[in-house]
Amino acid sequence: MSSTLPSSSASARACAIPGTPLAQAMPGLDSCVHCGFCLQACPTYLALHDENDSPRGRLVLMRALVEGDVSLDDPDVHAHIDRCLGCRGCETACPSGVPYGQLLEATRATLAMRRPLPLIARLILGTFARPWALGAALALARLARALGLPRLLAALPGRLGFAFAMLRATERPLGEAPYTPTGDGSRGTVAVLHGCVMQGLFAATNRATERVLGVNDYRLVVATDEGCCGALHAHAGDVDAARRLARRNIAAFEQSGADLVAVNASGCGAMMKEYGHLLHDDPAWSARAAALAARVRDVSELLVAAGPRRGGPLALHVTYDAPCHLVHAQRIATAPLAVLSAIPELRLTPLADADQCCGGAGIYNLVEAETSDAVLTPKLARISETGAALVATGNPGCLMQVGGGLLRAGSTTRVLHPVDLLDASYAARVPNADP
Amino acid sequence: MAMTRDALVQALAAIVGVRQVLQRPSELLVYASDGLPGYRKQPSLAVFPRSRDEVVAVVRLLARERMAFVPRGAGTGLSGGALADGVVLLGLNRLTRVLSIDAENRLAVVEPGVVNVHLTRAVAPLGLHYAPDPSSQAACTIGGNVAENAGGPHCLKYGVTLNHVVALTVILPDGEIVTLGSSDGEVDGYDLLGAFVGSEGCFGVALDATVRLTRNPQAVRTLLADFTSLDAAACATSAIIAAGIVPAALEMMDQPTIRAVEASIYAAGYPVDAAAVLLIEIDGLQAGIDEDVVRLQAICLEGGAREVRVARDEQERTRLWQGRKKAFGAMGRVSSHLVVQDAVIPRTRLPDVLRSIAAIGEREGLTVCNVFHAGDGNLHPNIPYNANDPDESARVHRAMQAIMQTCVDAGGSVTGEHGIGLDKLDYMSLIFSPESLDAMCRLRAVFDPDQRANPGKVVPIHACREWSQTAVLR
Repeated sequence: MSSTLPSSSASARACAIPGTPLAQAMPGLDSCVHCGFCLQACPTYLALHDENDSPRGRLVLMRALVEGDVSLDDPDVHAHIDRCLGCRGCETACPSGVPYGQLLEATRATLAMRRPLPLIARLILGTFARPWALGAALALARLARALGLPRLLAALPGRLGFAFAMLRATERPLGEAPYTPTGDGSRGTVAVLHGCVMQGLFAATNRATERVLGVNDYRLVVATDEGCCGALHAHAGDVDAARRLARRNIAAFEQSGADLVAVNASGCGAMMKEYGHLLHDDPAWSARAAALAARVRDVSELLVAAGPRRGGPLALHVTYDAPCHLVHAQRIATAPLAVLSAIPELRLTPLADADQCCGGAGIYNLVEAETSDAVLTPKLARISETGAALVATGNPGCLMQVGGGLLRAGSTTRVLHPVDLLDASYAARVPNADP
Repeated sequence: MAMTRDALVQALAAIVGVRQVLQRPSELLVYASDGLPGYRKQPSLAVFPRSRDEVVAVVRLLARERMAFVPRGAGTGLSGGALADGVVLLGLNRLTRVLSIDAENRLAVVEPGVVNVHLTRAVAPLGLHYAPDPSSQAACTIGGNVAENAGGPHCLKYGVTLNHVVALTVILPDGEIVTLGSSDGEVDGYDLLGAFVGSEGCFGVALDATVRLTRNPQAVRTLLADFTSLDAAACATSAIIAAGIVPAALEMMDQPTIRAVEASIYAAGYPVDAAAVLLIEIDGLQAGIDEDVVRLQAICLEGGAREVRVARDEQERTRLWQGRKKAFGAMGRVSSHLVVQDAVIPRTRLPDVLRSIAAIGEREGLTVCNVFHAGDGNLHPNIPYNANDPDESARVHRAMQAIMQTCVDAGGSVTGEHGIGLDKLDYMSLIFSPESLDAMCRLRAVFDPDQRANPGKVVPIHACREWSQTAVLR
């Protein structure tokens, strides 16, 4: 009998790119057994049906980079790695626990050493990395919104029109009715990440977050000088910028003295929970980063730990779309639904394929427009099938992508954060602090 | 004169569009492997038709140019069967439509790229399902299932893919379109459908498949029996069948497998200190099912089970099954590389064959993870190892051969459901005489006289003398 054991000489070859972030992340690649269970969990595979645009295929490309079968300059490799949404839907399908998100970021950081990011990506990331620039950009966006420009310009063709539709989607479908939270603060101190886009375009949701946490017995403290979490940079391969932003946030939240950090943007929550990994090789910061990461919670986790208290009735028809960085990266699937179930008379219709990405994915919808649209289309169809008037989802990128998509499709369905609904419910009847 | 590669690319692109043809080496890398990535065979190019008409036009073009090709579904196969060594890879994964559902006659017509579980999902509102359920059902395609005559846990009671395909529209490698079988019942003459199902892509390409749908059972019970020895679990398996109970599924997992699963996202609550568990499912009418549960519990406890748990609800049942079905994928946790064997033995030989396999593993200093269809004696010993260690690789190689020889000596067969592909070619002569292999070649010649469809697979080259002439695109 001759050989029936597959030849594996390839895997024994020396590393072609020693010292790169991808070479360091190589052990994670070894757990892939090529079973293919990730294919149907991958939105780009479902849209394009090319395995190069699937997790298994991208892992093959990563291994080929490490082993020197393809070069760091290979345009095909760049195209397929760029085309990944980073939704990490494959991680919750993978039996072997391949750390796909970390491998993707390491690959992008490695490729970025050879080729600058596209101009639009550099512009956006550069803006987010500079608080003054970001503040000015978001102020301009608010001004445009206040002037009603998005309503006029959302119908423009192409990405420009889509960008205005996204901006228009940040208009609140429900009014804000502030009230005084009645909680007793017994659940410990919490500082809320106000962040960048959330504070710039969803400030009312940030205020609502603080009120609903207050109602549920958390004592709010303020962290000064916190801001962008660095997730966009880390996902794009700009690790240095991500680390700078992370250090700033770590210091800010340490300073606040809060027991816990509440995050209402799931992309930011996922990033902050991984600060320990992001700074693992920075001796001055690794321990501090890990300690802070351990204190980060999604707002829905905190609310569910406390109940949450039931509010007044809201007779609204709502469906829930799970942000990828909540359900896949943070593995939080049921907490947001529990938050919504604390609202009397709210009609919640399940959304088919709610755990599939919407195609927003940070700045992906601006730099990979065609694939983003292909991923968004089935999402809008599933939403339409529910007949819901509102889509609740806990991440600004998803709110703007789904909201912008709905507007462009002529739908009357609007988007909002689950916390906004709970806040409106509390505004209708502020729960008593006594159980 | 044969077409140049560039001319072929252009001709294919004219049929399917430029983006449906891959030709650069870096984009073909991923198509060099299926679910058994130790094998790497790079295709010359890959073409992905999106409709039946495009498949027909592509196959006819290849026929005209006398070019070899390899059909591929989702690439989840475990025998290297969908690898195209220097020839054209014909991807069928973009043909994903369920064409019709006939609830009254319980039939569905599907395109070859429909994912197995998607069909079950599509007919679930009708109280129906598609019974063959390979562990890869969340990813694998019906077309691939037809090619491999795929099995799965529930095939113990319900039969394999062949028992659920009633008709196929096939394009033969020469471009002729034929219908095999009939959706109206039996056909006269030879059972060509039976010959085609399981032909591993060597007889042609299915354009659509008419498959049987199965009514969901009125009642289902799922049991998890926990044993402190592999031997006891194997004996209990035979005792269950001997008692006249035909479970819908009867699966075994040993300790290393249990631990890999329990470390994963599909952790099912299997006891990590058990030497083996049996996952037993019975289904049928509500009346009498709980009596069978009691009988099964008694047989297992008598056979030395520590505990026999019954899933309380659908959620727990799903969890128990997800753990089992994702076990192969979870092996990546144990080591960096993995080989899996697939062999069938008479069920009564399970205890001594499992003992022999354990002894082989021990002799070679390897961990063997057993996760398999115990009810029909279909073994899947998995060996995780480090391919960078030449000594360990050599030991794995010896162990795989010794395991297969043990199974054959026990009166077994060299594959249960994964197919021969590339991986099992060398084992064919263990169980077939040269005359039998020659007969297979002649059967193949009926469908594919030029031997252009999936060349070099299933029957060893020395028997068919194929392949070398057709590999024009290296």
